[in-house]
Amino acid sequence: MAQISLDNLSFRYPGATADTLSGLNLEVAHAEAHALLGASGAGKTTLLNLLSGLLVPTGGALRMNGRDVSALPGRARDVAQVFQFPVLYESLSVADNLAFPLKTRGVSRAEIAERTAYICEELQITALREKKPHALSLFEKQLVAVGKALVRPDVSLVLLDEPLTAVEPKIKWRLRQTLRKVQADLQVTMIYVTHDQTEALTFADKVSVLTTGGILQTGTPEEVYAAPSHEFVGHFVGSPGMNFLPSKVVGVSQGERVGFRAEWASLSQQSALSDGAVQGLVTRIRIQGTRAGLPYGLVTVATEHGELSVRGELSLGGEKELVVGDSVAIHVHKYVAFEAQHKVGEGELV
Amino acid sequence: MPVVLIVAFSAVIPLMTVVNYSVQDILDFNSRFYVGLDWYRETLNDPRFLEAFLRQLGFSFTVLLIEVPLGIAVARGIPKTGRFTSPILILLAIPLLIPWNVVATIWQMFARPDIGLLGVAVNAMGISYNYTAEPMHAWLTLVAMDVWHWTSLVALLAFAGLSAIPNPFYQAAELDGASKWQVFRYVELPRLRGVLVIAILLRLMDSFMIYTEPFVLTGGGPGNTTTFLSQYLTTMAVGQFDLGPAAAFSVIYFLFILLFCWLFYTSVMVRRDES
Repeated sequence: MAQISLDNLSFRYPGATADTLSGLNLEVAHAEAHALLGASGAGKTTLLNLLSGLLVPTGGALRMNGRDVSALPGRARDVAQVFQFPVLYESLSVADNLAFPLKTRGVSRAEIAERTAYICEELQITALREKKPHALSLFEKQLVAVGKALVRPDVSLVLLDEPLTAVEPKIKWRLRQTLRKVQADLQVTMIYVTHDQTEALTFADKVSVLTTGGILQTGTPEEVYAAPSHEFVGHFVGSPGMNFLPSKVVGVSQGERVGFRAEWASLSQQSALSDGAVQGLVTRIRIQGTRAGLPYGLVTVATEHGELSVRGELSLGGEKELVVGDSVAIHVHKYVAFEAQHKVGEGELV
Repeated sequence: MPVVLIVAFSAVIPLMTVVNYSVQDILDFNSRFYVGLDWYRETLNDPRFLEAFLRQLGFSFTVLLIEVPLGIAVARGIPKTGRFTSPILILLAIPLLIPWNVVATIWQMFARPDIGLLGVAVNAMGISYNYTAEPMHAWLTLVAMDVWHWTSLVALLAFAGLSAIPNPFYQAAELDGASKWQVFRYVELPRLRGVLVIAILLRLMDSFMIYTEPFVLTGGGPGNTTTFLSQYLTTMAVGQFDLGPAAAFSVIYFLFILLFCWLFYTSVMVRRDES
């Protein structure tokens, strides 16, 4: 397993006028599950290809366990990759597929048998050992692909390129859980690339939010969710993303804008303009469950500052049930303050 | 439905006409006698027919054995992206576009021992090469001509098949530490199966029916050492106007080709089901 360092890493495609990635700095600890979260076009695939050796950086260095591997070809790096769709050898059985990365490195028959049996056990695919890929479901095939990536005991890093993409939505969570369990059991350093923030937040120990050219923030899922260092992070992470209002409107002196999560605000009857409350009309109500017997969900409110989302009980003062068209006031209780899109502070309001 | 009608009209009816002729003795338009399966018996026992058949088999399999691996090798050498891809594909397509008798005429001159580039070159190396006089030389020249003519087809089909392989398969093989041979055997070959079936079927059928090129190049000679099935049939039907036996011959010929193709196809399909 390996510790990975990106040291001022840059990459520009030949013939391009600007760097796709510039001056990236990142540390991934040994046995860490790290998610690279970013929208399409942010450079996730480029970064992945730099890590796997398909591309060579045009600036800076890539280190694994302290060693500069920037110019090493893929096969010399002890890296494995899981792709968006299952990439297996169609003419070989599951057992032979798993054995392949070991066979090419001259591992003994006995060791191969032992290791593949262990991986099959870990992923619960022992029953599929003798089958060929075409006889498996997409989910099973992707499990085998994960197994193939983990089969070498000396693999430094496992890269996952949106591995849940091809799997049916109902089964995504199973694959996600399996990945999490296997990562913890085998203590594998994993870098997981995705544009889906739910996947990133539920899978990873640390999340890096990537945008065109650079990493905006690296932190634990909690940090990235509750203490975003950039407005884009606040907006991109969370479902729904952060609400933004000019600071003055909520009565905050820090920064130009404040961001607050849907559950950091509450609704009340519209009152005479009170300090810090934003008036608006309810445009949409989405029930997401109940809390203490009362319906609970997401309310979308149209205000003069745009659409805001508030999560909480779907009633005003616990009595009157909310309906679309109601006039409400939004009270912000907790916020993060931003100046020129960067975080300058945070706080709480009564 | 319309397609079925068109196929029926253009294929089945002429076929039935031939079958009709094959069971009759036709002396001229007005005197015909029903002779049953006589012509079939006579053809199958004709020693010249059997010789032509064996020569044909030999030719088809030799040509297939060279063209398929060579075509795949050429396809693997074509860059999948970049500015050379299109020019190379066009160059490869050129032999396929030349009318077949022109192909044979080109090679006729090319192989001439007195003024042909190939003929003179081979003779200069000390081998007394003469494709009109030596059966072995005639065979080699014919095979060389067919390979030159048709390898491009296999190459282009194989290239299309290879281009359809998504990059991640190559990336994964690189990370697995696979050798070039292993990449060919485990990534490329399994995915070329469909393409290869088509290529081999096409070449098998076409080479079994080959007529123009050997006829123009060697005329079936020296002697009848390069007389293949189709030429023998034509001599019988057109030269001798022996419609009865010729028709029987045609039906037998047709059934053979059908048999080979069916055998090949089922063996590939069976192998696929087994896997």
